[in-house]
Amino acid sequence: MTGRGSPSRFLTAVLHNGVGRYVRQLQRLQLLFSPTAADARGARQFVEEAAQDFARQHPDVVLYYCECWGLWEGDGGGLPALALLWDGGLIASKTSEEIVQLATKLANQSGLDIIRIRKPFHTDNPSVQGQWHPLTNKPSILTVQGPRLQPQ
Amino acid sequence: MASYSRAAQQWATFGRAWYLLDAKMQPPGKIAAATVIRLEGRHKPIYHALNDCGDHVVIINTRHIAFSGNKWEQKVYSSHTGYPGGFKQVTATQLHLKDPTAIVKLAVYRMLPKNLQRRTLMQRLHLFPEDVIPEDIEKNLLQEIPQPRAVPKRLDEYTPEEIAAFPKVWTPPKDFRRK
Repeated sequence: MTGRGSPSRFLTAVLHNGVGRYVRQLQRLQLLFSPTAADARGARQFVEEAAQDFARQHPDVVLYYCECWGLWEGDGGGLPALALLWDGGLIASKTSEEIVQLATKLANQSGLDIIRIRKPFHTDNPSVQGQWHPLTNKPSILTVQGPRLQPQ
Repeated sequence: MASYSRAAQQWATFGRAWYLLDAKMQPPGKIAAATVIRLEGRHKPIYHALNDCGDHVVIINTRHIAFSGNKWEQKVYSSHTGYPGGFKQVTATQLHLKDPTAIVKLAVYRMLPKNLQRRTLMQRLHLFPEDVIPEDIEKNLLQEIPQPRAVPKRLDEYTPEEIAAFPKVWTPPKDFRRK
């Protein structure tokens, strides 16, 4: 390969997760939102309506939520965010349903980087004729070394 | 099962072949179309877009290509140097006199896919104005690509016997005066 490609790996389960019992990889979910800001309205609605349901459905995820003045107080603060163990996501101006969707997606993820998946091409029955190579189905006498092809 | 090892089999599968193409009296577009398939590796059953499986192509006699119609006078190659007033336009004749490999090279370059692989694939194209090839390239050659067009035979290349044996529609009388 030319080495210019994007990072890639084969599709695997983290530590063979799910072979015995499935262990959810998301451990903690932290919701930061402002008590007053307009674009945190969806976050506040999520806490009031949907957060308990989410916590009941995912008992292995610790859900924190705290009212604060945002991640970047120097900026004036107020941007609501979902902070995770491995990553975070801004949820500014998102509705309650969108936050539920995002939190569910994060809870189901393995936490590995999202990169190109390589396909493990494999066969249990390799060809008895051998793999193709550039001389397969070529005439045994090639004309280049001797006199060249005559013009047609 | 083959007698050689699996690793050697893998190397053989992804080995690069060298093809020869004689451009004498051939249209550059047809030359480029035949070349691009080999450079990209699209003639191989193992072809995949993410797979670097292109072959080398050696094109000889690029000085003796043939354009149809009045393309030698009318076809214009444009470029811009990047400086103000740097827009250059040359006809195919002028470009061919300056560099006898440039027309074939441009035809192939413009027919390749416009992505990051284009420069890499162009490095596997070897152009020669005449039919003289360096020793180290000639010893790699595997097979000659058939020419896309039949090379026409000029009248002075026929023997007098062949010309005399050519069927004539009408025999001119002895006192026929030719213009």
